[in-house]
Parts: sequence; C-alpha cells; structure tokens
Amino acid sequence: MSFLTPLYLIGALGLAIPVILHLLHDRPKNKQAFGSLMFLDKTKPPVDRKRRPTHLLLLLLRCLALLLLAFVFARPFVLVDDPAAAGKRDRQWLTVLLDSSASMQRADLWQQAKAKVETALGQLGQGDHFTLYTYGDTARSLVDIETWQDGASRDEVTQQLERLAKPGFGGSDLGQALVIAGEAIQEKQAEPDEQPLAKREILVISDLQKGSQLGEVQGYEWPTGIKVSLEQIGEDDQGNCGMEQVAARTLWAATESVPSFRISNSPNSSTDEFEFVARAATGDPLSQKVHVPPGRSRVIEMPAEWLGQTIQQLAIRGDAAEFDNTFHFSQNRQQTVRIVYLGEDKPNDAEGSLFYLASAFQKTSALDFDVQAVSGQSTAPLPGADLFVVDGTVSDGLATALDKAVRGGATALAIVQSEKQTDNLKLWLEAPDLLIQDVKSREYGLLQSLKLDHPVLSVFRDSRYSDFTNLHFWNYRELQSLPSEGVEVLARFDTGPPAWLLVPRDEGRLMVMTAGWRPSDSQLALSTKFIPLLYSILQPVLEAKTQSHQFHVGSRIDVTKFNNGDVSGSVSIVSSGEGATPIEIEDIFLPTEPGLYTASGAGWSESFAVNLLPAESRTEPISMDQFQKLGLPMDEAVASPGQLAADAADAEKTEANRREYWQWALAAVLLFVTLETALAARGSRSAEPIMTS
Amino acid sequence: MEIKSLSLRARAVVEGFMSGLHRSPRTGFSTEFTEYRQYSQGDDVRFLDWKVMARTDREFIKKFEDETNLRCTFMVDFSRSMEFGGDEAGVKKSDYGRTIAASLAWFLIQQRDAVGLATFDRDVREFIPPRYRQDQLKTILGRLETQPAGQATDLCQALDKLASLVGKRGMIVLVSDFLTPIDELERSLNLFTAAGHDVRAIQVLHPRELDFAFEDAAIFEDMESGQNLILDPGLAREAYLEKIKAHNDALDGVFSAQGITSFRVSTTEPMELVLLKFLQEQPARAVARQRRSPGRSAA
Repeated sequence: MSFLTPLYLIGALGLAIPVILHLLHDRPKNKQAFGSLMFLDKTKPPVDRKRRPTHLLLLLLRCLALLLLAFVFARPFVLVDDPAAAGKRDRQWLTVLLDSSASMQRADLWQQAKAKVETALGQLGQGDHFTLYTYGDTARSLVDIETWQDGASRDEVTQQLERLAKPGFGGSDLGQALVIAGEAIQEKQAEPDEQPLAKREILVISDLQKGSQLGEVQGYEWPTGIKVSLEQIGEDDQGNCGMEQVAARTLWAATESVPSFRISNSPNSSTDEFEFVARAATGDPLSQKVHVPPGRSRVIEMPAEWLGQTIQQLAIRGDAAEFDNTFHFSQNRQQTVRIVYLGEDKPNDAEGSLFYLASAFQKTSALDFDVQAVSGQSTAPLPGADLFVVDGTVSDGLATALDKAVRGGATALAIVQSEKQTDNLKLWLEAPDLLIQDVKSREYGLLQSLKLDHPVLSVFRDSRYSDFTNLHFWNYRELQSLPSEGVEVLARFDTGPPAWLLVPRDEGRLMVMTAGWRPSDSQLALSTKFIPLLYSILQPVLEAKTQSHQFHVGSRIDVTKFNNGDVSGSVSIVSSGEGATPIEIEDIFLPTEPGLYTASGAGWSESFAVNLLPAESRTEPISMDQFQKLGLPMDEAVASPGQLAADAADAEKTEANRREYWQWALAAVLLFVTLETALAARGSRSAEPIMTS
Repeated sequence: MEIKSLSLRARAVVEGFMSGLHRSPRTGFSTEFTEYRQYSQGDDVRFLDWKVMARTDREFIKKFEDETNLRCTFMVDFSRSMEFGGDEAGVKKSDYGRTIAASLAWFLIQQRDAVGLATFDRDVREFIPPRYRQDQLKTILGRLETQPAGQATDLCQALDKLASLVGKRGMIVLVSDFLTPIDELERSLNLFTAAGHDVRAIQVLHPRELDFAFEDAAIFEDMESGQNLILDPGLAREAYLEKIKAHNDALDGVFSAQGITSFRVSTTEPMELVLLKFLQEQPARAVARQRRSPGRSAA
C-alpha cells in the first residue's frame, strides 16, 4: 500500500490529544475536606486503577476516528498489476564503474566488488544495455556497448571479471571515469535508437575512499538524464596509515637534505602507535616508534644512524590495512656540476672574478660544484661543462669551441671587460657591427628596467627582493649595434645601455653582463643578489641534475633525463624483483607496480623507486555531500524529453491501476464518530457525582 | 449525638456519669475534711474542732478541701478545623468538644463552682469570666450552642490574650485539636502555668485524623487555609501517621514539662468515660500543691 499525500500521516500525531484528555480525566474529582494539611506531603498524581471500560472504549473509538482521518487525508492506494502491461518492461542502460585502484587491495574488497557487479548484471532484463569499466589512474573499458550489443553474454562478462584476479596499484580517478562513462552513454544516445531508454544509470562500485579524485567532474556539465548511484564497499574501514616522502622545496639550495617522510593517520583510525621500519641491504631491519594521533600527520626525518646504510625499503607497521605499508626508497647520489672559468684571474685574488665565483657555489649533500679555471689563451681543447664563465678575451679557438658548446646545450656567462672582446662577442652574438665602448661617468650606474618576469630574474620578483638601488656599478660598458632580434635585454643601466643580456643559441643560452662583479667594477659580488642570480642562471642544469628518483605508479617517467640527461638510444628498465625481464624504453616509462627499478644505458645505470600514490592511503570514506556539490544527479535523474514522455505514460498507467480506499476509511470515521457520540451520551446520563466520604 | 440540644446532651452525659460515680471507690472533687493541724495563734477560731478540744483539751484546726470556690474557665477552640467529622466515622470534633465543655460546666455548676467560658479561633471570640450564678450555666450553654464559624486557629495568639484576661488563679480546661506548631504553644502555655493555673488539656481528634483511613484519591482541602492537595491516601498514609504521631508525642512532652494534665480523645469514645477519666485524673503535683494551701483557693 502506498500513499498519494503521505505527509498528512503526520496528522496521526493528533492521537495524543484524546489520550492526554483521558489521562486528565483521571484526576480525582471528589473533594475531601480535612482538618489540617500540615502533616500531608504531596504524593505522585494518583493513578486510577479502576478505569472504567466505557472510558477505554471511548478512547479507542476517538483514537481510531482520528487515525482514520489522517489515513483518509493521506490518500492510500494499492497498485494493481495489469497482467498485460507486465510483459512490457522499460529498457535501461547500466554502466558499471569498478574501482581497481590500489586501495581495493584491502581485505576482500575486490571479491565483494566483483560480486556486486554480478548482482547488477543479474538484474538486467531483455534488451537492456550494459557496459563495464574498471578505473584506477585511467578508466579502461572491459565491456563496451558494441560488444554487449553484439551478443556478449553474461557468462562472458563473468569470465572477464574472473580474469581480473587483483586490482591494480594505481590511484583512483573517479572523476575521469565518470566523465568517460557519461560521455560514452551520451554519444550512443546521439545515434538514432529504436526506442528511448527509460533509465540510464552509472553504478559506481568502489570503496569511495577519500583519496579518490573528482576534479574532472567539477568542470564538466553533467549530461541530463543520467543517474549516478554509488555502491560503497568496505564502509567498515578501520583506518589506515600512509607514508610519503616529503620533497625539499629547492633541493640544491639545502646544504644537508635528510630524507623526510610524512606519516598520515586517517581520522577513523583506532591506533596511534606505529613502527617505522627500514630494511637495509645488509643487516637487521631498523625500526623506530612513531606516534601519530588519528586524523593528524607527522613529518619525521630519517634518523641519523640510518643514513650511512643503503636503505632500499621502508615500511610502516601497526595499521589495519597492509597494502600501502611498504615504501620503496632510492637514495639520491651526489651530482657534480662542472663550471669552467675562462679568464686570467687567480682563485685567491679577492680583486678578481674567480674568487667570488668559486665561493658562490658551495658543495651540498645533493650537489658538488667543480670550478675549473682555464686561461683564455689556452690552446688546450675546451673541457665540457654545465656553465662557462668568460671573463676577458679568449682565443679564437676557444671562442669557436665555446660557441659550439653553447649551441649544443651549454650555458655560458660572458662578462664584458674591455673593447678587446669585440671579436668574441661578434661571433657569439652574431653581430658583425658590434661595438664596445667604455662608459666614463662620474656617477655610479644603477640598474633599471629589470625584467622580473623572466625566469632568470623571477627569483627577485617578490617586492622584498626587487630593490636593486643598493647595487652600484662603477665601471660598465655599452654594447652598440646589437642585433635587433634574438637578444633579450634583462636589465639596463639608468643611463640607457643594456646591462644584462640573454641570447638563446640553439639548445643553449648565453648571458652577457656589461659589468662584472669584480670589486673594481661593481658591488654585485658583495650584494645579496649575487648568489641567487648565479643559481638562477644555472637553474635548468640544477633541475636536471637533481631529478628525484622517487615516482608514483602511473606517473610518466622521462627516461631521457636519467644520467644527467646524457642518454643516447633506448634505456633498459628492470624491476628489482627476481626473474624480472628488462624493458627497453625510448622516452616515457609508465610504471604499473610499485618497486625499486634500475634504469641502465650504455655505460651507466641508475636506480629509482616507484610507490603507490599517497592519496590511495586515505582510505576513510568520502563524504556524500561532495558528490552532491559536484552536481551529480544522485537520487532522481533530471528527465530528458524522452523520459518525460515515458514518465507521463507511466503515470497514466499507474492512475488506471490504482485502487484507492479513502472512501471506505471516511465511512469508518463517520461510523466511529457516531458510535462515540452515542456511547458518550449514555455515559454522561448514567454518570453520577461520585462522593468520597 | 442524637440529642440536638447541648443542655440536654450535657445533662445526659453528667447524669450517666453520676450514676456511675457511686460504684467508684474514689471520689474526685470531694468537699471532705482532709486533716487536723495544731492551732497556732492567729488562726481563725471558727475552724477549731470543739469536740476534740472538749475531749482532749487540745486545740486543733480542721482543714477542708475548699472546692466550692473553684474557678474554672473552659477555653474551647471554635476554629474551622474543629468542624471536621460529622460522618459515620465519628461526630464533628467541635460537637464533641463543646459537649465535653458543656458537661463539665454543668457538673461544676452543680457543685457550685464558678465557671467561665472563652471561645477562640484566630483570636478570642467570647469571654465569660468565671462566676457562680444561677443563670451562668444558661449563658455558657447559650454561647456554646452558637455554631462555630471561626477562621484559622492561632492557638498561641488566643492563649496569650486569654492569659491577660483570666486574672485570678484557677483551673483552665483547654479543648482543642492542638493542630498547631508546638514550639509556640509551649511558650503560650507557660504563661498559664507560671501564673499558677491548673491547666488541663483535652485534645479532640477525629478517628480519621488518627488513622487516615481514606481509600479514594481525592483533592484534600485544608479546612482552615483552603489549600488543595491531590492525594492518593494509600501512598500518603504512612508518612502522615508518622508525622501526626511525632506531633502528638511532642505535644505530650510539652504538657508533661509544663505540668499539664492532658487527655487525647477520639470523637468515637463514649463521653461519660472521658468525663470520668478527666475527674479521676490527679492534677499534676506542682499545681496541686499550690491549690492545697488553705484559704488561698477562695481568693
């Protein structure tokens, strides 16, 4: 039985009125005069245990009348099945999104999820559409609509499901999967179909963990008429603890970078004591207790005594879910940055450029700087370097070699000291008419028109650092007849001539400074701008050198960046597991499983670690509000015109099959009221004042 | 209480009592000779026993209990609480109390004693000073006959006032239900006992007040204050009985401390037995001693 206007059933609360009135009726009416009440205490309201049956009957009648009245207003009805209509079923389209992310590896979630797919499959009728996707980092179609329409039987789907023995190790991009599934339904809809589908539904079978990404749905206009239902498994999540490595913000700037790890405990976790374990290549496992309250996270540094050992695997022990407890770890090796100084300065000459250059680059745990001084007039071949600093005139041979190196990808910084460098600069700047002129001025020069948006100067963009007025230049030169194209002026002197120029040369870059940092030229070497500027010029090199060796499952690993970018040909990647076969990769490697990998090429090999996405460790269920905020039609689909027509037909059919009973209920109300009146009248006639002596 | 007229009722009670008196081995208020005393100078020669003097040649003075000059004031509570009763369980407390007062008055007038009456509720309503006259009984009965329409009792205030009205030493018979706070009562009674009065208290209670044997739940109304209380007697009985017992015990304590002879009567008790008990009861010693000094009681 159903109700047309069920809200009226609230009226049944009116039952309380006769009950209360009858209870009030139980107050004693008879009065008893008494000498003095000074010895009497107030007792509980007396209960009339001898309630008269007529009262009970009256109460019953009154209650029934009220109840039926509420019932009448609620318009009860019973749908009677029309045998003729029962045969015609509305067709529906069901798309199942099966979560195969790493978090599904917990307990028996995967088996539960597969069973749910089977259940959904079992509810399909003749002519229904069915598609099945699994999703992790990306959505993958297992059964598409064409396969289904071509007669893929349920057994085949079941077999395919069985083949999926285990979920993957990827993240869960639910947003992307929803969008793909929604679009697939919509595209199919666009084609002329013989009969509109009454219902289109996307069923998400997932643990709906908080780490799921829904970003893609945010900017997506959800197609009308497609309902999304969520089938959550593993609601009884008992909390999980996750671990990720915390990346240093500027790895090369930190003198000592001790690997740090963030241990996050989920809010629904029942424990807060964990064990942080490291498995070294040799010796016993190392362990340390970590206290992380539920819902909080803690960053811990790798203990100093562990640092000396070769640690390949870290782990967390003590939480409920095991799948994300192992963390593969690849320690970064110290990289060498080669800097070649072409000039005549002595390393310990505080009046020269080399002294300051060598002082600016200090060794860190991640980087070692090798500053090599070469005379500008040297006849030896130019050594390879990441940065060339040219201070003064160089011989033609070196100039040509440098030009070639720069074009090949090196970075060079040329400091203009005198007119003698004209020939060198003509070659490097490709400016045959270039003239160098010393600016003789009594006033010191200041920098202006700085291009702070340029990557080289962007480090000074913040207003706290953009003040260059304290930087005075005593001697500087002016470059005249510069080529109109291919030269970027990063800064000018206040008198107009360019101060810092950047010239891209094929793969590499050349930066020209018309005043150096010798104390006789300027205050640059002693200013706070000097070191950031040098690092900024070197940044592309440093980034390549300090590439992290920690990756996540599903992330794109550019193998050409290994070995300091010196990779020729294909790279062979092999997992550290036993019996793993090497894979030859040309450019991008997409890891599908966590582990420690070794990339090797001609004469080099590097190891890198692949771990689960940290988001997968956030296993607490997602809040349902979030889906509603994204505008997903969770309850009722917004009806499409076709569905509206189907709904109208449905309504008519229902109207015809409805049997209402409110008239009978109304008759019963009248009967009860009449009976009540008669009974009450009889009761009042027979009632006599009750006197209690 | 079939007899409506108070004078008739009082007479019936006393006559019934008188007939029983002969069977009693003791007499109460006798006018008999009590003792001889050696004559000393200054004694009234009228009391010399001439016969003894003639026989033994010694002078003896005859001493008598002089009750004919007993001054007795009845103080009867006319407050509303005394109106409780009048059902099958017992007569009204006021009827019972008034009848006792009337009977004793009749009896004392018969003995030619001076009898007075004071009625009170919150205050003293009537005061007839003790006198021996032919029409005194009529006056007293007439006053007692009026229906009490008093307000709340303030026994203490009334007693304080009466203490100033009753001047000469005598007997005070207090007829009330004494449903009043005890501590104030003690102070008021002290005014009488300190003045040497022989105070006797008759506490009249209805049997329902003693056993609280109500059955049905009802709205209980205080007859004096008009306050209402919905009660289930079954639940309230135990506490009530405890409290009234405690009150009565405290009251008895006060009476005995003050040397006051007290009687607690239920309105179902036969009145003549109460009268007999009253008359047989010896006054408390301290008071009796005062009364025995010759010649002073006639004051």
